[in-house]
Amino acid sequence: MATTAAIPATGAAHDASSESGLWSWIATVDHKRIGTLYLFTALFFFLFGGLEAFLIRLQLAQPNQHLVSAEFYNQLFTMHGTTMVFLAVMPLSAAFFNYLIPLQIGARDVAFPRLNAFSYWVYLLGGIFITVPIFFQVAPNGGWFGYAPLTTIQFSGGMNIDFWVMGLQILGISSLAAAFNFITTIINMRAPGMTLMRMPMFTWMSFIVQFLLVLAFPPITIALVFLLFDRFFGTQFYAIAAGADPLLWQHLFWVFGHPEVYILILPAFGLVSEILPTFSKKPLFGYHVMVYSGIMIGFLGFGVWAHHMFAVGLGATADAIFAMATMLIAIPTGVKIFNWIATIWGGEVTFTTPMKFAIGLVALFTIGGISGVMHSSAPADTQQTDTYFVVAHFHYVLFGGSIMGIFGGIYHYFPKMFGRYMSEKLGTWHFWLNFVGMNLTFFPMHFSGLLGMPRRIYTYDAGQGWEKFNLASTIGTALLVIATLVFVINFLKSRKGGAPAPNDAWGAGTLEWSIPSPPPDYNFAEIPVVTSRYPLWDLKHPEMTADLAHSGPDAMTITDAHATPVHEETGHKTAAELGIPMPFPTVKPLFTALGIVIMFGGLLFMHLDKFALAMTITLGGATLLVGSLYAWLTSPLE
Amino acid sequence: MSFFRLRRFAPALIVAAAALTLAACGDQYPNSTFTHFTDNNRIIGALWDRLVFFGTIVFVFVEALLIFTIIKFRKRPGGAPARQIHGNAALEITWTVIPALILVMIAVPTVRAIYKTQAKAPDGSLKVEVIGHQWWWEFRYPELGVVTANELYLPAGRTVNFQLNTRDVLHSFWTPQLGGKRDLITNRTNWLWYTPDSSLAGQVFNGFCVEYCGSSHANMRFRVYTVTADQFASWAKHQAADAAGSPAAAATASVPVAAASVAAKPAAPVVAAANVTAAPAAVEDPGYVFPADKMPAHTVPATPLPSGDRAIAFDESVLAQGSATAGRELITNMANLGKAPCLTCHVVKGEMAMVNNDNARGPNLTHFGSRHTLGGGLFKSDAPTLARWIKNAPHMKPGSIMPTLGAGEFNPVTKQKMASGLDDRQIADIVAYLMSLK
Repeated sequence: MATTAAIPATGAAHDASSESGLWSWIATVDHKRIGTLYLFTALFFFLFGGLEAFLIRLQLAQPNQHLVSAEFYNQLFTMHGTTMVFLAVMPLSAAFFNYLIPLQIGARDVAFPRLNAFSYWVYLLGGIFITVPIFFQVAPNGGWFGYAPLTTIQFSGGMNIDFWVMGLQILGISSLAAAFNFITTIINMRAPGMTLMRMPMFTWMSFIVQFLLVLAFPPITIALVFLLFDRFFGTQFYAIAAGADPLLWQHLFWVFGHPEVYILILPAFGLVSEILPTFSKKPLFGYHVMVYSGIMIGFLGFGVWAHHMFAVGLGATADAIFAMATMLIAIPTGVKIFNWIATIWGGEVTFTTPMKFAIGLVALFTIGGISGVMHSSAPADTQQTDTYFVVAHFHYVLFGGSIMGIFGGIYHYFPKMFGRYMSEKLGTWHFWLNFVGMNLTFFPMHFSGLLGMPRRIYTYDAGQGWEKFNLASTIGTALLVIATLVFVINFLKSRKGGAPAPNDAWGAGTLEWSIPSPPPDYNFAEIPVVTSRYPLWDLKHPEMTADLAHSGPDAMTITDAHATPVHEETGHKTAAELGIPMPFPTVKPLFTALGIVIMFGGLLFMHLDKFALAMTITLGGATLLVGSLYAWLTSPLE
Repeated sequence: MSFFRLRRFAPALIVAAAALTLAACGDQYPNSTFTHFTDNNRIIGALWDRLVFFGTIVFVFVEALLIFTIIKFRKRPGGAPARQIHGNAALEITWTVIPALILVMIAVPTVRAIYKTQAKAPDGSLKVEVIGHQWWWEFRYPELGVVTANELYLPAGRTVNFQLNTRDVLHSFWTPQLGGKRDLITNRTNWLWYTPDSSLAGQVFNGFCVEYCGSSHANMRFRVYTVTADQFASWAKHQAADAAGSPAAAATASVPVAAASVAAKPAAPVVAAANVTAAPAAVEDPGYVFPADKMPAHTVPATPLPSGDRAIAFDESVLAQGSATAGRELITNMANLGKAPCLTCHVVKGEMAMVNNDNARGPNLTHFGSRHTLGGGLFKSDAPTLARWIKNAPHMKPGSIMPTLGAGEFNPVTKQKMASGLDDRQIADIVAYLMSLK
């Protein structure tokens, strides 16, 4: 790789986007900056959720401990789950959606840049709204699943659950807005020649995830609206005294909750599908099957929710149907695993840090998949559900799967985002500490669960046969803390001091690697014309894509810094100099988001019996929302 | 290169992990789901064996293939260049079909087991109503007229059919060694049945609440005693009787206060249902109680009393002077009910009733003295623990709705010091009374 040739382009590439200072970030509508904001915010919440997990593990290191009170422990595990799902893993995926989708499909931005900024601000403010209460020990304490009737006002009179209900409602707005934005972007803004079946696998998996978001969030929105109205306005959707059926909540929640699992894992699958081919120097094995299996997973994901309810007593027939439907999902998932291994097979594998994490995902997700099949067998699940065996299972899926894939993605795309490589040495340390720590934390939980240890307990009695496994889990968590610190140091150090990266940092084949690192704010000086799945390999390694279907003009119009000096020249120019219209920076989406959060926040005062104050704040928020939205919609984009 | 040096450690790590696992196998696992003492657990065990069998094959195959692949195809100087394969339909069909076949082999026994375990309970099974409360268990034997809490007696060899209900939020009923769990759903009735093996008499099992139910979810435990049919009949007959020293008990069989009572109430169907073949018990028959000294260590609660600056001060020397008669007077005399409001939440059968079984918020205390645990199975039931429990229950069990009763105690719910309340002498009297309710 002609590393030196590209260095000048790195520093000077983004005159326009190099505008720094707080204001340029607050008013930004650039998808890359928003992606970066998502990344930093989500990493912060990831650390916060990790800290909560560490406290949980310290409490459980020994039987009958009282490091934290029962009440605070219940807040900790509720917020650990809520934080990791809604504030860490989903937004980490969103960071990649934002940063990568336009680059991978050859677009200059997303379809609705201001809506994109709005999504981020809603996420940030909603995240703060739901997180701050823990500092006052009034954090949500009903579990991330918030089962009624425990979360109704009869059993949870405090404000704890209010923060959760409204926080999730706010975060849902962010997810839905982003999902519509990306669906529109992917459908409408692909570069010429970028057919659906030429899209990079990350974009494909993201595309599926956006549909899952659009379809899965309405059920939980309904569930939350019911609960919100129960708590504030005296409706009786979940009021047991009025004869409510608690299963209403469970069905609505899990119709959302199970697709949510695929919302968390498919983006990581997409990232791994970019990393494995790059470092095996081979195209992805069985591209079509990978796409279809992703669609199958997403589709079947909506038909299996009741496997979270095998102990609920739905009846034998329902249990049997959901057990079999759940088993079906193992098939497309297994196909993915085998196709990844087949991608590596016959390649020239280099073990860079992103590659280690990608292989780690394949190895660890497999374990989570196998224990998943064990849960699908409903009678067996009656011995497993709500024990630590389940905790082990979904951490293999979400930590071994999502988090490993996302870490791989961060190491992989860091050079593109910041123009510098992360340290391979620290990265290797991070990987191995993470790998060993993860297994030491979660593997023993299989045993503690099968040996009878229930979930969500703040303490347990001595002599139950669980001590060793819990101690091992806690030691493993300490390793994970160290691993994460190594990552943070690497991340912060490499931003300024990492080795400079060229445009094509790893020799990958997709469009995002054809433009400078970091990209100029307009991404592509000229929109590329795509003729196959790996346009950059077409250009640089035609032998690698010779067998692939090609169509379109013979001449590659894609420009690359190594191949054509043209791009280097344009790379120095601003959007204005090139005559590319760019959207104006604006803070209107931020104020719209602020209006929503104030509107919800005002309701909290109703619980303090300050009705007038509550209505004033809520109406104030609504006014801000409507006013900013009006100003936003009546001002031109560019 | 460092990657490969680390990779070489991986097998060593796996061996170490396996060794640790094996070493741990020497331990006692009193709540293991692998021990099969009921028909229900044997069905699940057979399924589990199959799941582990196929799971292990898939695990070993996939991980071995992955490790082999990354080692064989690692980049080496002079190694072969990457082969540009884009797919292979035959292969991809193969690894779609084989997992599907494995799943069929799991699905068939799964569906069979679902219908088997969820069939209607066989006729003649013993009916037990399990009622969940935040955070304790109520057990009723409707055919026998018994209402008790947190300790379940089951006759070995007889099918027991649990009817599961809850008075408040969701709970889940689980005794890992006896069967799978089943949730308690508000406004619904669930069922679970199994047959403890006939050989099981004389054993104790731990049970847990496994659906998150609020502050003290972790402290909602119970014990199951499996006993012989005769022992069960004796136990049930006595448990159905009025409380010792109660007017009702005295009326039917003039027994002295603090002595055991009898069950000579008009309870003919009860006796029939319990299959009691023996002649009506002697007046002093205290009924069978599982001997406390036969309880294995893991079934005796080891929860320590709050200590250090959290300790509940109690002058234990007054316990010996506690008077059961005075204690009964404190609890049952209307004039004292403001001070010791026990009967506004608890039932003591045969005594004045402020509540009945259906709206009682606390455990039935009629035969409290025959129980070995306290506070939802959280503590060992002995006089010093019970005294502190009466003095300040919510301090010993977070969220407990049993109020703080001791004078001068800090009430963690109202966050206030109790200006008035029971002194240690009065508590000692109540302890003596409750302990006499054998």
